[in-house]
Amino acid sequence: MKKKPISDDRLNRIIKYLAIALLFLAVLFMAVQFSSVWSWIIDAIKAVIVPVGLAYLSALIMFPLIKYLEKKGIGPRGLSLAIVFLLSVGIIFALFYFVTPFVVSEITDFFNDEFPKILDYLTGDLRDDFIFGTDAYDRLFEYLEESDLINNWLNATLPNLLNQLGSFLFPLLTAIAILPILLIYYLLDYEMLSDRLRSIIPQKQEKAVAELGSRLNQTVGAYLRGQILLMLAIGTVATIVYKLIGLKYYFIFGVLVGITNIIPYFGTILAALPPTIYTFIIGGTPGPLLVLGVNVVLQFIEGNIFQPIIMAHQLQMHPLVIITSILFFGSLFGALGVIFASPIAASIRVIWQFFREQRQAANMTPITGGDASP
Amino acid sequence: MMPANKGKIFSQYEIITIMFYFTMALLHPIILVITYLFDIASVVDVLKFSFWLMIGILSLTLVGGVLLLTQKDRLKRRVKPAYRNEYITLLFLSAFGLLGFAVLYDYLGGNRQYIANVLTVILALMVYVLIVLGRKYFKFDYMRQK
Repeated sequence: MKKKPISDDRLNRIIKYLAIALLFLAVLFMAVQFSSVWSWIIDAIKAVIVPVGLAYLSALIMFPLIKYLEKKGIGPRGLSLAIVFLLSVGIIFALFYFVTPFVVSEITDFFNDEFPKILDYLTGDLRDDFIFGTDAYDRLFEYLEESDLINNWLNATLPNLLNQLGSFLFPLLTAIAILPILLIYYLLDYEMLSDRLRSIIPQKQEKAVAELGSRLNQTVGAYLRGQILLMLAIGTVATIVYKLIGLKYYFIFGVLVGITNIIPYFGTILAALPPTIYTFIIGGTPGPLLVLGVNVVLQFIEGNIFQPIIMAHQLQMHPLVIITSILFFGSLFGALGVIFASPIAASIRVIWQFFREQRQAANMTPITGGDASP
Repeated sequence: MMPANKGKIFSQYEIITIMFYFTMALLHPIILVITYLFDIASVVDVLKFSFWLMIGILSLTLVGGVLLLTQKDRLKRRVKPAYRNEYITLLFLSAFGLLGFAVLYDYLGGNRQYIANVLTVILALMVYVLIVLGRKYFKFDYMRQK
């Protein structure tokens, strides 16, 4: 059978895609050549984007409250802003004031009382309980001692880790320090800033971009408000239940449940592991099975009753999509990527849906042949 | 035959009244839960604290009930098609209230072994009440949520 020749149209399209791919690679190549210049620019952008991003996210939580107060007649903007701002600062300070002593005393107690016991278990009882037998344990221990594996690993990792921590903490602390000022100005002129941003956009696209922006704001705002509410609720409930079942260090473990709740799916495992391992090693009541059971029940109630109602359908995505986005954004942006993987994925979905709707609307508009005027 | 209030949308007066009395009924265990978290039992006599708390809540219920009656006409004119946020508040109150009952049981000297049994019974009751309230008054049918 004779092969059909490629049409001109198809050939043109292939050449166009090839040219785009080549141009993209050329741009990438040029960017790599000037990597030192790019790193300056990226550092500068990072320095700006972290505080501005934090201010934007905080505004998404605080602005509805300001609007609510204004709706109730509490104004002008300065007054409603001052009320919300002072309330937020008060809550944060009160939280630190009351919670910090508990956390500090539990950590101190843990290192004074339990840590030696855990070390004893690792070097003593674990040998008898080792699943592959005492011989395998002895050989493994000997190998670890002879090869100095742990020390080498610690020597190699710790300085790097401290460096990374420093480079992460310093910009974060700077951002937190200037956040209140940024937030005040942002919230004071919220509408004006939105209008200015809109004025940059070409008039033809203004309506569509405004609609997209509003949808994104709604999605990210709903996620943040819902997530904070859920974190607080699940953290408090876990602390109370842990105390009720008689778990020592219930406060730390409960706070851990609340904090890790921000990471979908993996957070549950991260929160359940420390108390389960702790009860397994220390023994007594409550047993590790009970602690694990409490975690499973809590996560079941949170995931099946509270989350669907609070988050509504705005962030409902397939678990596979969420897990993939956590892995992808986690490797791209580190801890922040893991935390914000769900809202980023939801935002991408909103953008995708928006453009699909736009395309459908464009396809549905009737094609007029020539001049429609009478 | 259709129930009389199947499609009826209730005014904010009915909703706020339900929320108010629901909150007042659970306020005692909710406060107990918070105090339990911060180990208040080591500072004050819990039973005395609980007694005075009950008196305080009763007086608050009386004052609130009277205030609600004075606002009745104004609130009766306000209607929403569904009361989703109010239902979420109710859900959170129930969760903490439920734990509060377990704490109360503990404070009253109940055997800790049976806490799970007590919790299960109260949970079943609460879930039933919440589903009925949600379907009938808040126009929020959890069982039909997809």
